[in-house]
Amino acid sequence: MDIKAGGPSSDKGQWRRLWYTDRCMLWFCIMGAAIVGITVLALANIALTELADPVHLLEIAASSEVIGSILLTFGAGANAVLILVLFGTPLAYVLARSRPSRLKGLVESIVDVPLILPHTVAGLLVYLLFMRRGWLGAPLSEIGLAFEDAYPGTVVAMLFVASPFFINTMREGFEKVPIHLENVARTLGAGTFTTFRTVTLPLSLRHMFNGAIFAWGRAIGEFAAVIMIAYYPFIISTLIYYSFATEGIRTSRSIAFVVIVVSLGVFYILRRLTRYLGRYDDRA
Amino acid sequence: MIELDHVSLTLGSFLLDDVSLTINRGDYYFIVGPSGAGKTVILEAIAGLHRPDQGRILLRGEEVTSLPPEKRGVGLVYQDFSLFPHMSVIDNIGYGLRVQGMGGSDARREVAGLLDEFGIAHLANRYPGTLSGGEKQRVALARAVAVKPDILLLDEPLSALDPVTQERFIHDLQRLNREDGLTIVQVTHSRREVRLLATRMAVIIDGCLMEEGDAGVVLNAPRSREVASFVGIENILDGVVVKRAGGHAVVDIGGLVLEAVTDAPAGEAVTLCIRSDDIAPGTPGDLGNSVAGVVVRVVENGPIAEVRVDCGVELIAAMTRRAARDLCLAPGIPVTLSIEAAAIHVIRE
Repeated sequence: MDIKAGGPSSDKGQWRRLWYTDRCMLWFCIMGAAIVGITVLALANIALTELADPVHLLEIAASSEVIGSILLTFGAGANAVLILVLFGTPLAYVLARSRPSRLKGLVESIVDVPLILPHTVAGLLVYLLFMRRGWLGAPLSEIGLAFEDAYPGTVVAMLFVASPFFINTMREGFEKVPIHLENVARTLGAGTFTTFRTVTLPLSLRHMFNGAIFAWGRAIGEFAAVIMIAYYPFIISTLIYYSFATEGIRTSRSIAFVVIVVSLGVFYILRRLTRYLGRYDDRA
Repeated sequence: MIELDHVSLTLGSFLLDDVSLTINRGDYYFIVGPSGAGKTVILEAIAGLHRPDQGRILLRGEEVTSLPPEKRGVGLVYQDFSLFPHMSVIDNIGYGLRVQGMGGSDARREVAGLLDEFGIAHLANRYPGTLSGGEKQRVALARAVAVKPDILLLDEPLSALDPVTQERFIHDLQRLNREDGLTIVQVTHSRREVRLLATRMAVIIDGCLMEEGDAGVVLNAPRSREVASFVGIENILDGVVVKRAGGHAVVDIGGLVLEAVTDAPAGEAVTLCIRSDDIAPGTPGDLGNSVAGVVVRVVENGPIAEVRVDCGVELIAAMTRRAARDLCLAPGIPVTLSIEAAAIHVIRE
């Protein structure tokens, strides 16, 4: 039998060796399984309940209200991520390449502010800034861009809470690109932006993608910050809460299950599409 | 060609302190020094990757202190080769041509020529992650010369290569320097590379330029004890001139008395530098010192034997392994060493 390295047979041998020789790893796996187990149990619980009543589930999944809300949520999340990619990428590069200083430390702390705030506080900050009488909301509403109970409000709330996920991941990606590569590109005649565009950015694409996924996931999952400024139109979290409050557990659970399935599907497709991103080995 | 005029530069806690050196057109110039001495910083400053806090950098007679790297026309090859991992070999080599605006058939022709010149045509479509160290290095060199710089900066380019690949690469570098007239500035730890390739050199220690000049002079007649130690002079002995005799100085080194060629007057403290291959067993000529001692240790290293002899102070002599065996040199054996007075380099305090 042809046994290839890394194939099923060697995997089996590896597990056998682990079982007999590395008890430490075994305990670590058991403890880790407790965490994974909670997620698996929660998913199994809702899946078994919902699949027991497929007619109701399909009725909910096909309702225009749910579909519209999912599209709105995913769209607003994507919009927020797009803005983050455009504006967060340069900031992440500056943070990655600048020398340690008080100013850099201050900017890094400011970037992390949305991480440490309760989501309602984050929402309140966004509301105060973008409400019709807010510092930014007032001048923008004069040119027709309203944020309260409007799509831009949803986007800006999502942008605010998701920004550290994208910027920090992107910064790590830039930091992993050896400065020597940029140096060589410069001596070959490339200016700073050309070097960034042709060397640094392509080598950071995997981090850009991961950062965008994290940020998008965070954005579409936001509830508290969004309802502070834009209760309407209903994003999916708001719709689930509204259904829970007005129609009870059954409808809200079905909507939640639909969201889980769609989200997992979208994430899986995105991962598959970008699995070779950042791999540069032509032997594979 | 390249001039650093009182250049000082701070990077974190590191300070490059008031370095001035001149590199002539066509030089094969080495910058040597221990790790962390600032050799690479000098190289990168020449390339325009660090801006000096003080001083000026001139290339081809023009001041370029504030000029960005892309405008300086210098090639740079790092120790790790720094090939762009997301580009094939052909795209790596053509990168400089593309960003400088050369496109289409001209760029392809240039790159094809370089692939042939460096013997890497068969690697054209491979990615750097799949290349050996030697292959990567040839690609890096081809990429650096593709944009036709007249100055090539090399940061320890041989240190990651096996001996056979090193020889081939040294041949490439000699060709670029001698046939193509490229001025090469190379950073290294290796004395062998310096002896093989250098026309001129500088020794940097702790961010300070200790010595600069003709490679033969720096290697054989250094001006300081630190440089002598760094360039690998095996016997560095502190002594005092006790008298002068026939144009020579007689130097007492802790009881061992040697004659050396120097103008130092009696009473002056001096440091004697003697290369191990200038000390040989046997009777000296008219101008030689004869020193009796006892072999302490014999270390064979390939074809060379390093013999340590206690002559009051310990001297290290190098000879062929065959010679050491023929003379039956072994610990405890008495031996007489011959050292030509002219072979002793004297550093005056």
